[in-house]
Amino acid sequence: MRLSMGVKGVRPVAALLLAASLLLPAAGPVAAAGPVVLTVGTTQDLDSTNPFNTYLVSGYEVFQLTYDLLTNFSLDTSPGPGFADTWVRSPDKVTYHIRDGMKWSDGKPATSKDVCYSWGLAMAAIADGANIGAGYLDPNVKDAGVTKIECPDASTFVAYTTDQSDRIFQVYVPILPEHVYGKVDYKKMADEKFNAPLVGTGPYTLAEWKTGQFARFVRNPNYWGQQGFEDQVVIRFFPDNADAMFQALKNGELDYAHGVNPDQFKQLQADPLYKTDAGKANGWTQLAFNTYGTGTGKTIPNGGPSTKALLDPAFRDALGYAVDKPTLVARVLGGFGDPGTTIVPPVLSDWHVDPTTPRTFDIELAKSKLDAAGYKLDASGSRLDKEGKPIKLRLYAPDSEAAYAKSAEFVKDWYGQLGIVVSTQILTSAALGELVLPPPDGTAKYDIELWGWAGNPDPNALLQIFRCDAIGGTSDSQYCNPDYDKLYDQQLKESGAQRKATLAQMQNLIYDQAPYDVLYYDANLDVHRTDRFAGWQNMPATGTPMFTYGDLVYTLLTDATIAPSPSPVPSEASATPAASASASASASAAVSSTAPATPAPSAATGTTSGGGSSNLLLGGLVLVLVVVVVGGLVVSRRRRTTAAGEDE
Amino acid sequence: MTPATAPPAAAPGIQRRSGSAGRARLFVGRFLSRSDGRYGLLILAFFAVLALFPDLLVGKLETATTATGQSLQPPGGGYLFGTDELGRDILNLTVHGARISMAIGLMATVITVVLGALVGIVAGYVGGPTDTVLMRVSDFFLVLPTIVLAIILAPIILDIVGADAELFGIRATMIVIIVVIGLTSWATTARVIRSQVLSVKMRMFVDRARVVGSGPGRIMRRHVLPNVVNLIVAQAVLTFATAVFTETTLAFIGLGDPFAPSWGQILNSAQGAGAPGLGAWWYIAPPAICVVLVVLAFTLVGNALDDILNPRSGARR
Amino acid sequence: MNAHYLARKLAQAFVTIVAILVLNFLMFRMMPGSPDRVLKNPNLTPEMIAATRARWGLDKPLIPDQLIAYVKATVSGDLGYSIFYRGQPVTDVLGATVGPTILLVGLGEVFAIIGGLAIGAYAGWRRGGKTDSIGTGASLILYSMPYFVIGMPLVVIFAAGLGWFPTSGMTTPGMSDQPLLNQAWDLGRHLVLPLLAVTLGLLGGYSILMRSSIIDTRNEDYITTARAKGLKDSWVLRHHAFPNAMLPMVTLIAINLGYVVAGAITAEIVFNWPGLGTLTIHALSARDYPVLQGIFLLVAVSVVIANLIADIVYGFLDPRVRA
Repeated sequence: MRLSMGVKGVRPVAALLLAASLLLPAAGPVAAAGPVVLTVGTTQDLDSTNPFNTYLVSGYEVFQLTYDLLTNFSLDTSPGPGFADTWVRSPDKVTYHIRDGMKWSDGKPATSKDVCYSWGLAMAAIADGANIGAGYLDPNVKDAGVTKIECPDASTFVAYTTDQSDRIFQVYVPILPEHVYGKVDYKKMADEKFNAPLVGTGPYTLAEWKTGQFARFVRNPNYWGQQGFEDQVVIRFFPDNADAMFQALKNGELDYAHGVNPDQFKQLQADPLYKTDAGKANGWTQLAFNTYGTGTGKTIPNGGPSTKALLDPAFRDALGYAVDKPTLVARVLGGFGDPGTTIVPPVLSDWHVDPTTPRTFDIELAKSKLDAAGYKLDASGSRLDKEGKPIKLRLYAPDSEAAYAKSAEFVKDWYGQLGIVVSTQILTSAALGELVLPPPDGTAKYDIELWGWAGNPDPNALLQIFRCDAIGGTSDSQYCNPDYDKLYDQQLKESGAQRKATLAQMQNLIYDQAPYDVLYYDANLDVHRTDRFAGWQNMPATGTPMFTYGDLVYTLLTDATIAPSPSPVPSEASATPAASASASASASAAVSSTAPATPAPSAATGTTSGGGSSNLLLGGLVLVLVVVVVGGLVVSRRRRTTAAGEDE
Repeated sequence: MTPATAPPAAAPGIQRRSGSAGRARLFVGRFLSRSDGRYGLLILAFFAVLALFPDLLVGKLETATTATGQSLQPPGGGYLFGTDELGRDILNLTVHGARISMAIGLMATVITVVLGALVGIVAGYVGGPTDTVLMRVSDFFLVLPTIVLAIILAPIILDIVGADAELFGIRATMIVIIVVIGLTSWATTARVIRSQVLSVKMRMFVDRARVVGSGPGRIMRRHVLPNVVNLIVAQAVLTFATAVFTETTLAFIGLGDPFAPSWGQILNSAQGAGAPGLGAWWYIAPPAICVVLVVLAFTLVGNALDDILNPRSGARR
Repeated sequence: MNAHYLARKLAQAFVTIVAILVLNFLMFRMMPGSPDRVLKNPNLTPEMIAATRARWGLDKPLIPDQLIAYVKATVSGDLGYSIFYRGQPVTDVLGATVGPTILLVGLGEVFAIIGGLAIGAYAGWRRGGKTDSIGTGASLILYSMPYFVIGMPLVVIFAAGLGWFPTSGMTTPGMSDQPLLNQAWDLGRHLVLPLLAVTLGLLGGYSILMRSSIIDTRNEDYITTARAKGLKDSWVLRHHAFPNAMLPMVTLIAINLGYVVAGAITAEIVFNWPGLGTLTIHALSARDYPVLQGIFLLVAVSVVIANLIADIVYGFLDPRVRA
């Protein structure tokens, strides 16, 4: 084999291949009319398909497609039919009726046995004082005050609790098939592999998960409720790459994009093809001040806050006048969000109150308040604390969102006008989480932590951050106030107006003491197309259709290309007990007439990285090709040396 | 991207012996007569001006708080390169980026060349087990995939040095990038210089008379070093190109400092703000073109220097 | 090439790999920032955090316990369990990404070598001519462009702009149900733009090197002789100059492999290509120690092996090299 021929031969072929692939881009072997697929994009990668192991919003979105909760969330986030179709609340218990004739996606009957198993996992963990996996789901049961559960018969489930709040209806424990997982106890549940395909009672069951790429769901042929128009759902992950997701949306590869940025959002607002939703998020972004040592006088060697000023509520309160929150919302969030006030986000309208003595943006007022509190300027313009040291604050923010770094710049500038030097640094979320830990796990060597929180429908989740026992756990302000703890315990037992009054007290207490300066309540910016699917509804009305609480909207979608018929409004059980049984009956009636067209998920993928082996094969083939080409060149080179000097 | 050895390492050539003033003039003349030398120098001079006097040219670096424009404005209306998502003038950012990118490149180059030359000269001259050990170590660094190593080293060093550290007014994050680039690039320089030292060493044994009585340090300084300086200079320039290239890549990946916008950091912000998908080409083009130009210029100048200072037998340039 | 040379090279490679193992382990364990606090959640309890740390062996002393455990496990093929992906074996997580990266980088190398050799050879042979100026100029410019600087305009123009190609990813979800031909087509469509970016990024360096190499070879005596004998110019180039100029290329290709895989990280980011590069960035921000260790190990060992192969090949080619 001559080298010359080798090179000459390969090049034209390569060129031809390239040309071919360029000339026929969009055309190609056309697939037969396939299933209707709803493609949803998110920038948050999925960490696990095991409901008990996931920490992330994407994980919740994924497991709630396959599994029902005991009661799902309705459009207004009130409890609606889930695994149970009706329930009755008594003073000491809640009695649920499990829907008759309900089947799992593999055809086996779904009964109260499955609920007793699933909730039983949580009960067993609570009894041992342990957690299941990530420990995010089982505390819901404890929080609802459930003391005992029992299954008197196949269609009845009873949970005993004297807690009259709604928290029992917000328990996020998915109902798992007992015939699949029955042998797994709560200790082993975290290690259980939830490999596709999964068996569930939800509208769509997981068929395939390509790690870091997408999760695919197929229609559950035995679903009890209304069926959405789509046969399959694909959730595509664009980890940390909002640009790629946006481009995919505009290119028609996505029907829905969760979490676009303000500029992308604005570009599509004017386009009639897309509907943009700025959902009010249940959470906020805050400045958390390191108040370690307040009241106790304890200090951390080579750690803790850099100045005692941070322990003084008057100091923190004065700083609050130096932050222009409306400007932050306008400049950093592109206008999508609300200026921050109290620690219960306004979206929880039942519980949020505005502060009784709100702060305004007024640099001069901030300066005079600082002076009055005993923090004066020195000759060079530095603000001194009561020990005579210039105040220098170290601010840390995570790199998970660009907005954090930008807000930090503003804060640095404003505090600078007060004579307070702020040094800013961006860390990864993991490093920041470690940084704010006090002894024994860390040294809490920071002054201000700029980060955010997202909560549950019940405000408890966000309120417990400020408890004394949260220090070393979720607390990033090291705040401890026995009065606050007392109020917290009190509101656990209350409901309605009484609870709201207590919560109002707590919100004002935190606002005035200011261990946190809540900067703003971000908005969730979602966009979806309007030309393929119709029937989109927001959950709740101020929110977004997807990535909220539960996957109800997936079942409400209809075909946008046919003349719109009034989409059947899902009859939901109201928030009051003793809902009627007719509601879910009418919904399931609509299902039986339409036989789903999609076959059961293909047997191909039984593992989470099913495609990995074929990719490896392809990669290996390429490698062989490379070696062959190089080897060929080398071999011909050898021949060449032996033939040197010959005339051709 | 190949390391700083492309074009191939120079073999020692015949040194012309003329007076030093004459040599200098000869050198400058030969340098400027080459088109690559000319263009490269021109580009570098332009960016040097930008890097040295950014405040004079465009005012202070704009921050989120001092920005005056609307979000993502296209060029026009007083903004030559438009604005970014915070309303900052991209011309302002790009010019200031020159200083940051070049400063990082310069300091990284210094570390690389000093370390590489030191190791190369010592290993080449001293020989024996020292040489073997040093070469094993440098081989190890050569083999390591540098960018992966950089991605891993940067946060480690940052966490050890501490967040607030500032050395001579340079932020810790920048220092980390500099150190990381230096650490991962010195091996190539060391190798190249060592080969040169080996051949110089061979020639030196002919000059036994001059060498008798001098200690190794002196010999290395007074006899080896001058013969290697040319190569070091050429290597330094090429290393500069690699340093800017690597810094841009690291910053784009997200290891840069968002408060000190080098060109790579600007591109990282552009990607994060969704500039490609939004069609905001003005956010991407200026820093990208600047990076390409600077790397190109250093490569051209480095090639020219290499050819002139290290002529290879029989090749007429 | 004798057995002594081979043995030496093998031994060196082995020592390097061991050093890599130890370095790998030390580096990652030094990184503060425990991974179980990546996302703040109101339901975390201190007991839960401690339990997570225990599960991943993070609370045992660094040396010797963790190191010994690491070495034992690695040698037996167990690379640990991913922290971000909640217990998926690292080998699974890596396995899914190795293929795409090899595909992209491997093909990119092939095309870049072919293209670079061709351009460089012709440019060098006709030094000073138009081919040289255009070829070398283009090569220099490409050589100065990071992969993402090449990639971003490609995405904007051809994918988002003209819509000829998908904007990101490697396959369309759901393709695994389709016939093989459809799958291949789908893969091809997704591959074009990233491949173009990687190829162009590599092309410049090979072209420049080949050009210098050809120029050197051109001035050799036997070439002058051949031309003096009246042999056709292009024939002399192909049959005499080219093969000899290839020698330095062989070593460069192997050495480059380390840089290539690493440098392709930025190309993968721009196209959201699900390969090692994207995984590296992701694992870094999540402080996923085991995955990072696995990636580094994989890439470093691959490069060592590639260099070993290059050394062996070189030993075949050039009997002088036995230092």
